[in-house]
Amino acid sequence: MSPSELISRGEYFSQWRGGGGQVCAVFPAQYPRELLWAHGVLPMEVWDPPLAPARAQGHLQPYICSVVRQGLELFLAGGLDDVGAILFPHTCDSLQNLASLVEDYLDPPAPSLFFYNPKAPFAAAAKGFYVAQLQTLERELTRVFGPQPPEGMARALEWSRRLSELYAQAYSRRAAGELGVGAAEFYRVLRGGEYMHPRDYIPLLEGWLASAPANGGGQGQGIILSGVLPSPPDLLETLDELGFRVVHDDLISMSRRLLYPPPGEGDPYEALAESFLSMPPCSTRGSSLSERLEWLKGLARAGGAQGVVFSVVKFCEPELFDLPELRRGLKEAGLPSLVLEVDVNQEVGGQAATRLEAFGEMLS
Amino acid sequence: MSYFAGIDVGSLSSDAAIIGQDGDLKGWSVTETGPHSTNAAEAALDAALDMAGLTRDDLAFVVATGYGRAAVPLAGKKITEISCHALGAYALFPDVGTVIDIGGQDSKVIRLGEGGKVADFVMNDKCAAGTGRFLEVMAAKLGVGLDDLGRLSLAAQGEVSISSVCTVFAESEVVSLVAKNHPIDQVIKGLHRSVVNRVAAMTGNIGITPRVIMSGGVAKNAGVVALMAERLGVDIAVPQEPQIVGALGAALMAVRAAL
Repeated sequence: MSPSELISRGEYFSQWRGGGGQVCAVFPAQYPRELLWAHGVLPMEVWDPPLAPARAQGHLQPYICSVVRQGLELFLAGGLDDVGAILFPHTCDSLQNLASLVEDYLDPPAPSLFFYNPKAPFAAAAKGFYVAQLQTLERELTRVFGPQPPEGMARALEWSRRLSELYAQAYSRRAAGELGVGAAEFYRVLRGGEYMHPRDYIPLLEGWLASAPANGGGQGQGIILSGVLPSPPDLLETLDELGFRVVHDDLISMSRRLLYPPPGEGDPYEALAESFLSMPPCSTRGSSLSERLEWLKGLARAGGAQGVVFSVVKFCEPELFDLPELRRGLKEAGLPSLVLEVDVNQEVGGQAATRLEAFGEMLS
Repeated sequence: MSYFAGIDVGSLSSDAAIIGQDGDLKGWSVTETGPHSTNAAEAALDAALDMAGLTRDDLAFVVATGYGRAAVPLAGKKITEISCHALGAYALFPDVGTVIDIGGQDSKVIRLGEGGKVADFVMNDKCAAGTGRFLEVMAAKLGVGLDDLGRLSLAAQGEVSISSVCTVFAESEVVSLVAKNHPIDQVIKGLHRSVVNRVAAMTGNIGITPRVIMSGGVAKNAGVVALMAERLGVDIAVPQEPQIVGALGAALMAVRAAL
């Protein structure tokens, strides 16, 4: 598959709805997508809709991050009018407040669903709490979309396992220098999973992995890309142009929630809970700084990275609170880091590009 | 003998330096950038060549730096101003540990490692606060020449506090202060203090290692340099021509690139 064959979020949404399919809009970050698939519902994730913020400004304080701002803008622009439900995972205070704002004041066109992830450190009760959350969400999905079809959950878990294998393959090949694509292409393809149904996405991902060259990616300095999501797109293009080799990432929207042990056999809720509890450490899941630091150092060691680029969405409190200590720890471990504060869908700009280039010169 | 050129195309000034293979400075220039980066780079180069008594044919290699570096087609290589300022400062002061460069559009603090290589750095974001542009806007608002800011600041018997670091809000604040008849020199000192506080805050991220050098156009402002030294608690050295440090570093990079 060529990345050019990957259709846009809007086109896919139209096709899916045109075929009579149900859609649930999902705000960041972690949620049990398998439950939605089991109901035959397409989860359409809302991370960084490319809209000029206008109406959302009237509802949010200036210090709210652009992920929340853009998501609200999409809602206010009518972009979620045709979905069957809107799911708000409890990821951070800003997203929690967005859920309240939408539900209490903005008369949503579809039912709002809520999902509360347990926060680390995970006590013995965390698994039971997560299972209870799954059961609650299952009841809500049944109320909104009807009951699961027979074998719905079994199929969903099969898709989940296959996707886990493919994501793991993509990341491990890239870390080993055996995936000859740049950061822009890598993330364009992997972000297809944010809006495509696995029935369509798995064959695309398989085709891409089969056809992607085994070498020919960036030859420059190896870095870990950390932060919220691989956006704005020109950040990735700039990294490619400067010859950086992104050997791994530590992004909330990517490896932190995609690279985890796939759900096993047995009770599906228990299996999903075990997978969630095994996800890589993340600021939004309350992981400790030491756990995050060791994780980052491990990623760097495994991929031979020389530094870490933090691409942090402005005003993202969970990420920004961790940043100083992470940087200090990395520095002590001989890993220089660079921080870029970005707004999703806003161009990187000359000064940020210069900082990236200088970081590359410093590492060389 | 082969000669090497470095051209630093900044937002306000374009500067050039010509050196011999041994690193000796043969000629230099500081010119206005204006609206066309390529023309500005060539004008700066030609002015520096004139001073050196050379022509473009005498140049073995040219390196461009600065925000307009991509628009210098005659350069064989483009390198960021961060690396070039570090190397230029190291050539002038071999014991340099930290370079504070405040240019027209950005400010940066660079910590040096071995041989003038960048060990760490921090650079301002898009905001004009803490840059030469901030002082330029304020000087225009106060009707004072840029070159007079330092003298007036040093002579001030007091200081007016400027609470905003934003250029737009600070301008409004200055208008209010002038309307209340605050002495201009004290307002200027307050403005300098706000620039210093902004840049000094950046140093917190990477630390300060003596010897500290200031470069860039704002280093010509003795008022800012004095307040910066006071704020950081260190002596600060300023090169004879602080605006050509980046160009000198680029010229030294040209020697390396040609070898």
